[in-house]
Amino acid sequence: MFQNVLVWTVQNVLFPLAVPVFLLMGVPVAVWLERRGAAFIQDRVGPNRVTLFGFRNAGLLQPIADALKLLVKEDFIPARADKFLYFLAPACAMIPALLTFAVIPFGDTLQLGGHSIRLQVADLNVGLLFIFAVASLGVYGIVLGGWASDNKYTLMGGLRSSAQMISYEISMGLSIIGILILFESIRLNEIVRMQGELLFGFLPCWGIVVQPLGFLLFFVAALAETNRIPFDLPEAEAEIVAGYHLEYSSFKFSMFFMAEYVNMLVASGLMVSLFLGGWQFPGLSTETLISLLSLSWLGVSLAWLGPVLTACFQVGVFVAKIWFMMWLFVWLRWTLPRFRYDQLMALGWRVLLPLALLNLMITAVVFVIMVQWGVH
Amino acid sequence: MGLETAKILRSSDLVTRPVDAIINWCREYSLWPYAFGTACCAIEFMAVAASHYDISRFGAEVIRFSPRQADLLIVSGTISEKMAPVLKKIYDQICDPKWVIAHGACACSGGIYNNYCTVQGIDTLIPVDVYIPGCPPTPEALLDGIIQIQKIVEGESIRDPKYRGD
Amino acid sequence: MTDEIARTLQEKFGDAVTPVDGFRGETSFTVDADRIKAVSRFLAERRDNAFDLLEDICGVDYPDREKRFETVYHLYSLRGKKRIRLRVPLNADHPVLPSVAGIWKAADWFEREAFDQYGIRFQGHPNLRRILNHEAFVGHPLRKDYPITRRHKLAAPTNFGWEEPAEARTGDGEFTVLNIGPAHPTMHGTLRILARLQGETILQAIPEIGYLHRGFEKTAEQLTYQQVIPLTDRLNYVSAMMNNVGYAMAVEKLLDLAIPKRGQYIRVIICELSRIIDHLVCIAANLVDLGALTPYWYCFRDREYVYDLLEALCGARLTTSYTRIGSHAHDLPEGWVERCRQVIRERIPRSIDEVEKLITHNRIFVDRTQGVGGISAQEALNFGFTGPCLRACGIPFDLRAAEPYYDYDKFDFDIPVGNNGDTYDRYLVRMEEMRQSLRIVEQALDGLPEGPHKAADRRVVLPEKERVYTRFGALVGHTKLILDGILPPPGQVYTATEAANGVLGFYIVSDGTKHPYRIKVRPPCFAIYQALARLTEGNMLADLIAIVGSLNIIAGELDR
Repeated sequence: MFQNVLVWTVQNVLFPLAVPVFLLMGVPVAVWLERRGAAFIQDRVGPNRVTLFGFRNAGLLQPIADALKLLVKEDFIPARADKFLYFLAPACAMIPALLTFAVIPFGDTLQLGGHSIRLQVADLNVGLLFIFAVASLGVYGIVLGGWASDNKYTLMGGLRSSAQMISYEISMGLSIIGILILFESIRLNEIVRMQGELLFGFLPCWGIVVQPLGFLLFFVAALAETNRIPFDLPEAEAEIVAGYHLEYSSFKFSMFFMAEYVNMLVASGLMVSLFLGGWQFPGLSTETLISLLSLSWLGVSLAWLGPVLTACFQVGVFVAKIWFMMWLFVWLRWTLPRFRYDQLMALGWRVLLPLALLNLMITAVVFVIMVQWGVH
Repeated sequence: MGLETAKILRSSDLVTRPVDAIINWCREYSLWPYAFGTACCAIEFMAVAASHYDISRFGAEVIRFSPRQADLLIVSGTISEKMAPVLKKIYDQICDPKWVIAHGACACSGGIYNNYCTVQGIDTLIPVDVYIPGCPPTPEALLDGIIQIQKIVEGESIRDPKYRGD
Repeated sequence: MTDEIARTLQEKFGDAVTPVDGFRGETSFTVDADRIKAVSRFLAERRDNAFDLLEDICGVDYPDREKRFETVYHLYSLRGKKRIRLRVPLNADHPVLPSVAGIWKAADWFEREAFDQYGIRFQGHPNLRRILNHEAFVGHPLRKDYPITRRHKLAAPTNFGWEEPAEARTGDGEFTVLNIGPAHPTMHGTLRILARLQGETILQAIPEIGYLHRGFEKTAEQLTYQQVIPLTDRLNYVSAMMNNVGYAMAVEKLLDLAIPKRGQYIRVIICELSRIIDHLVCIAANLVDLGALTPYWYCFRDREYVYDLLEALCGARLTTSYTRIGSHAHDLPEGWVERCRQVIRERIPRSIDEVEKLITHNRIFVDRTQGVGGISAQEALNFGFTGPCLRACGIPFDLRAAEPYYDYDKFDFDIPVGNNGDTYDRYLVRMEEMRQSLRIVEQALDGLPEGPHKAADRRVVLPEKERVYTRFGALVGHTKLILDGILPPPGQVYTATEAANGVLGFYIVSDGTKHPYRIKVRPPCFAIYQALARLTEGNMLADLIAIVGSLNIIAGELDR
């Protein structure tokens, strides 16, 4: 009885609370990665002076200092801003970002003494559709923020953003359908589980292997959705001076700031789950891991040790893959210039969209042929 | 949010000391500069932001171009009479708390220009916290100026009149 | 060619045009105010060796003369490699003359400046309003009777009289008015553009300058010739030594003083090093505006090595004040030549190559810059373009080749030329020019002669410190030179050098005293920036950003 309550609490209370907290805690790490990664690429050192009690901590405290400073800054509201929308916009940017992570699995289902704990906040039967539906609400944050600030620069940022995000959402959605066809499911944990199989005996059946074009398209679209260079027009500093968050200060600005990094984390999580095998480590299935990590070969016989350590290992793999994708985001930001507005739209509509459709067609044809031949 | 909380907390010294320590710590290590660069000193500022001197080590790399998000106004270069109202406007737009560095002789006092079109020091327009003399000051001098600002921030308290939100 | 021009002008215009004595070999004519437009048109539209480049228009104030003001035009013929000066005397109570903005578009802003500083009115000018001083300024500061410290405050930023169109205000129209700058990242703190936008397309872009007007010319009139040198550093402050050299050359021409070969080669080396660091800053800033942030750090990293060289040479990184009239502050220190060689062989090529690899063939960059802000060669020349911006249009005009000074004709270097005059070509021209400058420095270091670096003229050059402390004659000479200053003969000269941005000209009028009577700087980017409206209208806002960055507008030089 107690066990049931515990399992229920962990599944339905702990995870929904812990996942957003971990996401938000990931933001300082992402900021640190950005700043130090930039410094590494640019042949310099990066933040390393933030001292606490005499220790420098390699600048890991820098983002903490940034966030706390923003908290105690003056909270400014433009005189003629639409106050309700002005307040709503940062929340509109942050909350969808946090919500979308709910359906991303970060480990295989944990089987402990007859109870099963899903390492996923919510196992919706609409899976991916939920992500697209909620993520598209994130646009509102930027658009409302840009409009409500009563400033021409922010308005331009908001307009650019709305056009950009709508254009790239289509390609983003279409590029996934290939995956859906091949894995015959829309639920993310099933997709991840199926990526554990091996093709031709040695190649892991990851999304990127069976859908390389889809991965590329999705990656480009994800860059656009998260407003990262080369698609950072809505906040193109040199052109529209901080764009949509020009008139935001203090905590509301930090919400926008953090929402960008949370979006990056979510996009990375999605890409990892769909294309990079999620929590799968190639060659080590869950059963292998459980038997390995139960340390029975060392003579230990704790029933829960194997599953729990397996879960930790899989979460670790998942997190490592996410941080690899984040590094790609950072790397690209400091390497490429940004697009012009019309070039960006041309790319989204005239290049990505036809390619996504092409990908879809080819995948569908290949799938039908494979089914005919009885191969799967 | 920040300044109202401060009002409540300021009455008790036992509370204010640790609060001051935390707030000052995060402010001094995360000074986001607004580079108001007009002339030669701005080129030296750019050199300080470059990899050889690397202002980002001090947490001050995130040069915000929006006054609302900046803390530290670094005025580099001569301010002409034409530019003076612009400088005042930008200063007013920066959100509290803010600090000002007069970078270079022209910003401190007009420098080698004393004529019909130059302002003889930006402290005739806005309050200045740190003056960095030099024409232009070496990059190390600017870094020292930022460290001086950090020391000033360390010595502040939420009980200071400027933070009372009166 | 001088005689031929004089003859044809006299034939056509008779008494309206009078040749002036050829001081220091320069060709000048005095022209009557009512005929200046006809003379200009004649000279600009000649079949052979037309004077197609208007280098400068400025005013000079002679309060003792009957005709108080003088408007001075400097024209250059690219094909004939000839420069002439036209001087138009004007009455104090009616300083009006026709504008030549219809003949050379370059005249636009130069005439506005003459109006602003002297009150000379140009009939037919499209937009005769103040350019360097602010709207609330009263008086004309460069007049001799204007006290230098009389200031006028400006209460609030203005739209310099430009009225927002009625449609934009009511919101019924389709366009917005956007104020860009001067506190804007791309505007580098001192440029301001008022743009009328339809969505993202620019319908009209009006630049405003003068935010860094620091009164160089008026201040120079109060100082001695030698004291002006630190002021010249602050003109184009990213390549300060080139200004030092340009000014020293002008005063030396006034004095008819030649510096020895070693001094000349030193000046060539430092000019080319300054050209390299100027181009590095331009490219870095331009790329930052386009979103490619990393090359900024690569460019500045290697700039530091050049700064180390300059610091070893004269003690300062940026405001070098290295040249003196007829001499230099110091000779090259020991080991400097080897260090310089190391920098130009290892350090600078490294950053140029890295930026090249990252950017030159990057599809996004090419799309952002190719075809953006293009201008035809003829139009560019008409606007007064010189330097990399003109060479990007296809005209291989470089003063180092056209009017070689300091043995530039003995160095082997190429002049990179573009095709379309667009932003991409300007970038490529600058990249290649840096490589060519490295070649020149290498050759100059190889050919650096031994010997003195200063001219042996005691009336101009300070004696060696050892002699001043040990010999009475040298002490007296030193004292006299410091107290009396350099006393050039009365006359006027104009010299131009190929600075990093283009033709940097110094027009100096001497009245025989130790203070220069008038110094006019011909800034290369002043003429180039005038063309902004022409370059940007019809393009998008993002293109404006790319274009402004590629023109390399340095406010110290633009506004003086």
